[in-house]
Amino acid sequence: MFNKIILIGNLTKDVDLRYTSGGTPVATMRVAVTSKYKQGDEMKEDVLFIDAVVFGKQAESCGQYLAKGNPVLVEGRLRERKWEHEGNQKSKFEILTSGVKFLPKRESRQDAMAGAGDLTPPGEEITDIEPF
Amino acid sequence: MFNRIILIGNLTKDPDVRYTPSGTPVTTMRLAVTSKYKQGDEMKDDTLFIDAVVFGRQAEAAGQYLGKGNPVLVEGRLRERKWESDGAQKNKFEVVANNVRFLPKRESSKVGGASNSGQAAASDADFSNTAPPEEITDLEPF
Repeated sequence: MFNKIILIGNLTKDVDLRYTSGGTPVATMRVAVTSKYKQGDEMKEDVLFIDAVVFGKQAESCGQYLAKGNPVLVEGRLRERKWEHEGNQKSKFEILTSGVKFLPKRESRQDAMAGAGDLTPPGEEITDIEPF
Repeated sequence: MFNRIILIGNLTKDPDVRYTPSGTPVTTMRLAVTSKYKQGDEMKDDTLFIDAVVFGRQAEAAGQYLGKGNPVLVEGRLRERKWESDGAQKNKFEVVANNVRFLPKRESSKVGGASNSGQAAASDADFSNTAPPEEITDLEPF
């Protein structure tokens, strides 16, 4: 069937890079994805936290170049892993990533405003508004 | 930021249509999405079960025209809902769909299912404890 997910988010912590017993690199990245939406007249915000798992060469590059706070695009398939822990049924949703793009960091507000003086009101980021 | 998910799957049960206090229809559909992948030389498959929630007119249409077993495409945003129940932290991932497409049922699986059930009936005793496969059950034209 078809199972495709694309997320842009920021890493909430550094990349966790491990190796399988066969030597394949496996990187796990925790991604925070903020969505803004309107409920009636109110703007609301909803943050999704999810792990993205990357294999192979891409996993190594992630470990090498990405760190906490970095924005990233991940594309892949959503899956649920289930296991038992001390008699309790556990479950976890994660993304099996087939593609990762490193995205440029936004200039911090201070850097951006250093040259511009106080012309732009803080807290207004036009880049984040999505039409959905 | 950006949060997009597209799934094609079969409904594991009939859609559940409800209405908000203000009258907006809200339909929840449970989807089974099977992915096939290769592990070494072995073909494996992995089925994801997830709820898709849809609002408004599409919610009503889904309730009206979709039933258990029907294939459907949903497109939307993935979210995690968290709440507390009896002191325990609960969570649930779901798709907030902004697009639902009804897909045609596969003819071949219907025919296959029909002949299979004929065979099963002929030798009922031998297969009394094998449940019919999920996907083929309840294929009725709407």
